[in-house]
Amino acid sequence: MVKILMVDKRRCTGCHQCELWCGTEIASVSKELYQAIHENPQPVARVFVEGKNFALQCRHCEEAPCIEACPNGTMRRDPETGLVFVYEPTCIACWMCVMACPFGVITPSSSLKVAIKCDRCRNMGYPICGEVCPTQAIRLEERKDYRAKAF
Amino acid sequence: MEFIQKKSMDRAVEYFLPKAFEMELSLIWDRYEGQLPECGFCETGLSCRDCLQGPCISHPFRNSNKLGVCGKDKDTLAIQSLLRLVLKGSMVYLDRLSELAKEMESKQWRPKNKTRTDQNLKEVQSFFYDGSLIKKEFPRNFIRQWEELRIFPEGMVRDLFRASQKLEGGLTEIEDLLLWTFRSAMLALLSQRLYGNLKKSIFGEWGPAKVKVNLGVLDSSRPNLLLYGYLSPLLKQKIAQEAQKEAIQVLGVCTDPLIPPFTLPVVTTYGSQEIPLMTGAVDLIVAADQGVYPSLKEVAKEYEVPIFYLNGLKRNNGLRHLAKEIIDQTKKSYEFRKRLPRDIPQIKESAMMRFSKEEIDPKRILKALDGGEIRGVALLCGSGNVKFSQDHEMTTFAREFLKNDILCISTGESSMALAKYGFLNPDSKGDFCGQGLMSLLKGLGEQVPSVIDFEEAELIDFILEMVRIGKKGHSMVACYPEANHSSEVVEALRMAALGINTYFWPALPITGSQRAMEEISKFCKEKFGSNLYIPLEKKMEARAKAAMVFKALTGQEGYGISGQPWR
Repeated sequence: MVKILMVDKRRCTGCHQCELWCGTEIASVSKELYQAIHENPQPVARVFVEGKNFALQCRHCEEAPCIEACPNGTMRRDPETGLVFVYEPTCIACWMCVMACPFGVITPSSSLKVAIKCDRCRNMGYPICGEVCPTQAIRLEERKDYRAKAF
Repeated sequence: MEFIQKKSMDRAVEYFLPKAFEMELSLIWDRYEGQLPECGFCETGLSCRDCLQGPCISHPFRNSNKLGVCGKDKDTLAIQSLLRLVLKGSMVYLDRLSELAKEMESKQWRPKNKTRTDQNLKEVQSFFYDGSLIKKEFPRNFIRQWEELRIFPEGMVRDLFRASQKLEGGLTEIEDLLLWTFRSAMLALLSQRLYGNLKKSIFGEWGPAKVKVNLGVLDSSRPNLLLYGYLSPLLKQKIAQEAQKEAIQVLGVCTDPLIPPFTLPVVTTYGSQEIPLMTGAVDLIVAADQGVYPSLKEVAKEYEVPIFYLNGLKRNNGLRHLAKEIIDQTKKSYEFRKRLPRDIPQIKESAMMRFSKEEIDPKRILKALDGGEIRGVALLCGSGNVKFSQDHEMTTFAREFLKNDILCISTGESSMALAKYGFLNPDSKGDFCGQGLMSLLKGLGEQVPSVIDFEEAELIDFILEMVRIGKKGHSMVACYPEANHSSEVVEALRMAALGINTYFWPALPITGSQRAMEEISKFCKEKFGSNLYIPLEKKMEARAKAAMVFKALTGQEGYGISGQPWR
């Protein structure tokens, strides 16, 4: 069963810890906070806390506009997990995915010349933003359970 | 996030950990695990909550919120985080000094040397508004240097007020904030010196003494009164006198155990201060403010141990009256508690403590350094931090240094931690020391242990003497392997200001700003000729850390910061 990353806006305090640890653990070379801070180019977090208290990351849409927009198949879906990810070696930095994303969660990295987005830490087995969230506002849940709750 | 770490190296503490788990009793290690991951912004000094428009952060991975609401950038935030810590740490020493002076001014006490006490009290009075009377306490070259840098205090009150205003905003340069940070640290140095002088004139000179350490010192057959945290030496002496009359054993945790003419057994050290209550053998605890966990309240409730709160504003009794009240409560509590089971692990060590430059002659040490008998001098300081297995870093440093003929000197809580493992027992010298160091220690006297304990003020005396007669760049280093309190941050800056290379773990909260790290390293190097090491690796092994310090100390490598001042 496909799991989704649920974000509870009532629990999110806007503390930015998800961004900080995503930037360190996923985006940095050193994987150490004290050193990641000073890396150049600056690590780019895949989760965004902006304006309201709400952590937003890629929703891994079933009908993903970024995959549709990608001209060369760089934006792909993992057939096993259903997660959408960027296959970086073939990215030509055309930013079509950036324009197409309805949530604005794909970052164009001008220094690395690749599109950067959340792949829900698919190589780690668990999303770091959910692990570090102090109020458990970000949780991994079965899609079925989420729907049952929502409706 | 899974976090696995051995909790303590102390067998006495380990004895109680399964029991705490069974009882679902929350101890410091459980609470620490509950806090993980700790706030990365606060840890790196990139947060601020000085006003109500915040709290603000400077985001390292986003461009939209690099500045706080008022416009503070990450460099200002980082240096201000340090200044805030240093100010808080300096208050620790200033509070001790002002309390002792106030108690002496009340004329309830007859000091050993009245003339000197009066003189010292005058100096304390003058220190509040002017620093000039204290200048004679330090070598002239230091005073000149500190005055040129404008970090020598011009009076406690004014300096404290001015320094605290540096956190209120305004347009301040990084260098200026750094100067105020060091000036605040100098306030602590001066007040520690005055405190040491005052204490000496009240109690007289006192040589080394034997102290028993660890949980085995608790007595199952008589009342045990535990003093937690920093208490006025006058009150402690009075309590010990009254307790002697009633056959009550007075013991200490995180408090100075030597109070002439008494030596208080030490039950445990800072990290494990909740554990003694689990023996069931504690009948009353007297809790001060400095160095005491608020969690004691819950653990004490679980074991039905009454707490005597010392520093409440509601208390306005004389010290004698207070001491009597404490003893009466201990007796009453023992009458009730003696029926309860007592489980005391028979683990204890003996330690020889409180040396001074009278016994440990700096000239002899320098001669041993020049002659190659020893390869350096390491000052081991700091109280213990839950981020490391309790005492692991400290004992690893001591073990590695001693076997490589590095003379180790400790003070305060670091001495207590090392004492638990026999490092301060003169009979265990052979277990730890290399040949050269062994011959030096034997030459200094049979009662000198592997690691030599100094009282804080005496340690400053010793360092000043070493610096005065030694060559520039002598092989002395200060290590804080498990630092914790803001007062230890102050101590570390003070060591750097005295020209001693200083290693400090965990990292100071300035790692968020490269410029702040560079500025502080450059400042120490250029102005004091010392290096302040700020680690950027969190997961470095204790032995690797000790090896790094050892290599730097023996000149095999730079201080780990050449080329990269912050590494």
